[in-house]
Amino acid sequence: MEPDLIKMKSKEIRKLILSTIVKAKGGHAGASLSEVDILATLYFHVLRISAETLQDPLRDRFILSKGHGSEGLYCTLAAKGILPKSELDRYLTHACDLSIHPTNHVPGVEICTGALGHGFSIAVGIALSAKKKNQSYRAFVLTGDGELEEGSNWEAAMSAAHFKLGNLTVIVDNNQLQLIDFISHTMEIEPLFDKFVSFGFDVHVVDGHSPQDLCRVFDNLDYEGDKPHAIIARTIKGKGISFMENVPEWHHRIPTEVEGEAAFRELEA
Amino acid sequence: MSKACLREIQAQTYIELVRQGYEIMYLVSDSVSTSRIKLFQQAYPERVVNLGIAEMNLMGVAAGLANGGFIPITGNATPFLISRSNEQLKIDISYSNSNVKVNGMHAGFSYGTDGVTHHEVNDISIMRGFPNFEIYAPCDPRECAQITTYAITERVGPVYISLNSGLFPNLTASDHKFIPGEPTQLAVGNDITIIALGTAVHDVLEAQQLLGGRCQADIFAFTSVRPLNAAPLLESIRRTGRVLTVEQHSTHGGAGSLVAELMAENGTGSKLRRRGIPEGSFTKNWSAPDNKRYFQLDAVGIETAVMHMLVD
Repeated sequence: MEPDLIKMKSKEIRKLILSTIVKAKGGHAGASLSEVDILATLYFHVLRISAETLQDPLRDRFILSKGHGSEGLYCTLAAKGILPKSELDRYLTHACDLSIHPTNHVPGVEICTGALGHGFSIAVGIALSAKKKNQSYRAFVLTGDGELEEGSNWEAAMSAAHFKLGNLTVIVDNNQLQLIDFISHTMEIEPLFDKFVSFGFDVHVVDGHSPQDLCRVFDNLDYEGDKPHAIIARTIKGKGISFMENVPEWHHRIPTEVEGEAAFRELEA
Repeated sequence: MSKACLREIQAQTYIELVRQGYEIMYLVSDSVSTSRIKLFQQAYPERVVNLGIAEMNLMGVAAGLANGGFIPITGNATPFLISRSNEQLKIDISYSNSNVKVNGMHAGFSYGTDGVTHHEVNDISIMRGFPNFEIYAPCDPRECAQITTYAITERVGPVYISLNSGLFPNLTASDHKFIPGEPTQLAVGNDITIIALGTAVHDVLEAQQLLGGRCQADIFAFTSVRPLNAAPLLESIRRTGRVLTVEQHSTHGGAGSLVAELMAENGTGSKLRRRGIPEGSFTKNWSAPDNKRYFQLDAVGIETAVMHMLVD
């Protein structure tokens, strides 16, 4: 799909996220809005996956390691036609499987995530499977940047390079915020680029809100090569809603109906 | 009677299962020797993945390989294998119901003088905290081969197998057929019920020799922790009125706890004694036989415990 069309999908997904969170009175608005353009680019341009191929052993796999960004994933899956949109209306009710952190009972969700520092290893295992079986599917994992404080990620990084997993791509949603504060005030993870390079990755830094730039990077990765890929996507937590952008409290805060309407107006503008 | 190493029995079993076409992938964290899979590795080098000393990654990668259609087995000394990776076991494997097999080697105080850091007397307790996992502690080589085979060929989902590292003879009959959930009965009697976790039953049978004609015991190897058909155990406990549990495990959360819970919930009211590592205690940094003696888990200690219960 062309970047302009991906942008339209991003807008649709952002609206779905807002309405879903406002209605359910729960979720992680900031984290979900931060990742939307990455997910839209993946699901509408990169990933070889559709509602019809969810069980296909050769499908590409996507793992949301930052499980708290579940609304971003659910709404992308809904926009893609993998998850019925009606399920979003039932988010956080006992009548559906959509929980704040995703489980693999939801169509399109490969594995349960929510505790941080798990998805990277899982993606290594998936990429290793494809390599062992000489199959061409690829593994993509989206991590938070604060999440990289978990040491398990670096065990995974070490093994990805050791096993020469060119079919593995880790995307870092680099919004520079974690739970209640900036990462640099909490536990510095920089220099991220140098860290990934030293771990043997092919590293790219990109505007994580530009489908055009994201497509260009994804399209030019050597998925059959020997180096795993790291894409450091510069993002803004709460992206698209002025009063949420870069404000730590929107990690957890739920918009009131009035705030939700104001946010909607911004997206419509 | 010839004795065998349970880990080597597993490796031989896996070689045969690959021959039959099962897509096994054996994952180790620098634990090729600990897991005794050298023969398997020689036969199928491409089916062994060494993650280095990194158990968190080991379990996550195993979950990923299961997603990719393999049957991953993870093997290492169980103190390292299941404790460092606790959250990966919980989420990536248990909660996600991934088809991963976890082989906990050197359970109990198998590691002897390597000491407390290398002992694991809580593995059953830890694994009972994870739904979807089936949990086994085979009592002899025959049962080990059968459980290892079942975990690959019949069970789709997580399995934990607790293995002591000693050499053990077969106790079960040559026509023994392991059935998930069923306790393995090895002796029949009406004076007392003795329930031993996995290979601890070898010491119980030795104690029975010491007891001679003084006591006829119903002796069970508690090899299937989950699933568990408790009916045969409860029938025996009601009939004998006395039960002794024996385990190279903490009395908290292992066989003793499970039997106590069963008795309480079923109102059997029989007398219960639990031999194991007392709740709140560490093992000793001593050899395995010395630990056995200290915690009265050797034949003499078990004989003494039985005699106390008979006269009490």
